[in-house]
Amino acid sequence: MSSLKALQDLIHEKYGIDPSTLDPHASIRAAGIDSLALVEYLFEVEDRFGISVPEEHSGIDTLAELAAVVDNARASQTA
Amino acid sequence: MMPVWVTGIGVIAPHGDHPETMFASLMRGESAVRPVFPELPKPAAAALVAFDESAWFTKLQLAGVDRVSQLAVAAADRAMKDAGAGAAADPERIGIYVGCGMGGAAALDHAYRAGGRVPPLTIPAFMPNAPAAHVAMRQAARGPVLTYSVACASSAVALAEAAKAVQRGEVDLVIAGGSEALIVPGVMLAWQAMQTLASFAPGEAAAACRPFATDRSGFVLGEGAAFMVLEGASRARGRGAKAYAELAGWGISCDATHLTKPDAAGQQRALRQALRGAGLAPADVGYCNAHGTATKLGDIVESEALAGIWGDDLDALRVSSTKALHGHLLGAAGALEAVVSVLALHQRRLPPNAHCRAIDPACRLNLVRETGVPAPALQAAISSSFAFGGTNSALVFKRV
Repeated sequence: MSSLKALQDLIHEKYGIDPSTLDPHASIRAAGIDSLALVEYLFEVEDRFGISVPEEHSGIDTLAELAAVVDNARASQTA
Repeated sequence: MMPVWVTGIGVIAPHGDHPETMFASLMRGESAVRPVFPELPKPAAAALVAFDESAWFTKLQLAGVDRVSQLAVAAADRAMKDAGAGAAADPERIGIYVGCGMGGAAALDHAYRAGGRVPPLTIPAFMPNAPAAHVAMRQAARGPVLTYSVACASSAVALAEAAKAVQRGEVDLVIAGGSEALIVPGVMLAWQAMQTLASFAPGEAAAACRPFATDRSGFVLGEGAAFMVLEGASRARGRGAKAYAELAGWGISCDATHLTKPDAAGQQRALRQALRGAGLAPADVGYCNAHGTATKLGDIVESEALAGIWGDDLDALRVSSTKALHGHLLGAAGALEAVVSVLALHQRRLPPNAHCRAIDPACRLNLVRETGVPAPALQAAISSSFAFGGTNSALVFKRV
């Protein structure tokens, strides 16, 4: 199951950005979350899902990309 | 020299976020001091601000914005709104002058408690010039945006420096004041270790701070922000602005003797300078909002300093330290107490020096002992702030 919905809910909860206003394929940074705030968001994602987002994905810029990474991490944990 | 007028006031204070209702509470002698942090080994008290950050920031805007900056943005915005729409100036001709002693204490506290996951925005949240920067962004102010960190004198110094910039014509308008928000357990412990905070029995936190009283034992911490809009008199008059008062004189000196021990001679240099700048004799000033931290030594030294300048006119000077009621706001104290002084002058009413049942004979001041004291002939007021580090500041306000 895709993590996208949970990620959208979390970004709404943390930054008040409604899922309907942030296209999953649009830039998160362009929505006003700068690179440092994005790191804080990723911390929260890691805590929430009990995963670790690998360093090479630090350039992630869309929720869809992030959802794919989170899905992978969760799948490899349960495998 | 161009007179500098106070044309707007904004506070986010322990007694609320409207200057007039705050002043009314002070006039009634209501203490905003409450017990805090029951988990600490020693009883602790502070005057906290009830603040709803969601009224001023979206969740997205709050990322990396410490409480100290939130309070500053809100108080400065209230000051600008109070000054009226006509106050708007060319962005490059607007200055922001902010006093802040510590910076974002909560951000540091949170970083320490985060269990290794330190939020990446901790540094920009903590830095002491963040409040000024956030006010500048909110008000689109592109002139000088400056921070003064001079311990307890920070925001009085900020107001003095802002007034100079207005007087010299470097800016058309300034938003000047201070913000402080450091009521977190670690900082409270550090202040308790300094032996300057008041001790109190259970249930007596509200009256713990008793300036100039025989049974005084120190101050209590407070948090909050206070800002004034300052403009040249001709500009203010030209736009039909209301004026609360003229910021007529200021004095800044340093003891250069000891980091924390106050010095009457140093304080007198600041007081004298402020009177001279305002073109006033001591007898012309009817009210002093004293630094009055209620420490054993501090109150005596301040009394000596005032007695030395006012001489035979000392009895005509009414004095109160309102720290008894709103606590010591440290970097924001000078600005909050300047606001209280301006409102006393504007309304011609004097807030009490609360909780002083018996005045220390070594502090022979004409304290405002009762509540609701009128001052129908009041023409000028002085507000003193004396800092660790030895820097002394005094601001003189005149009626317009």
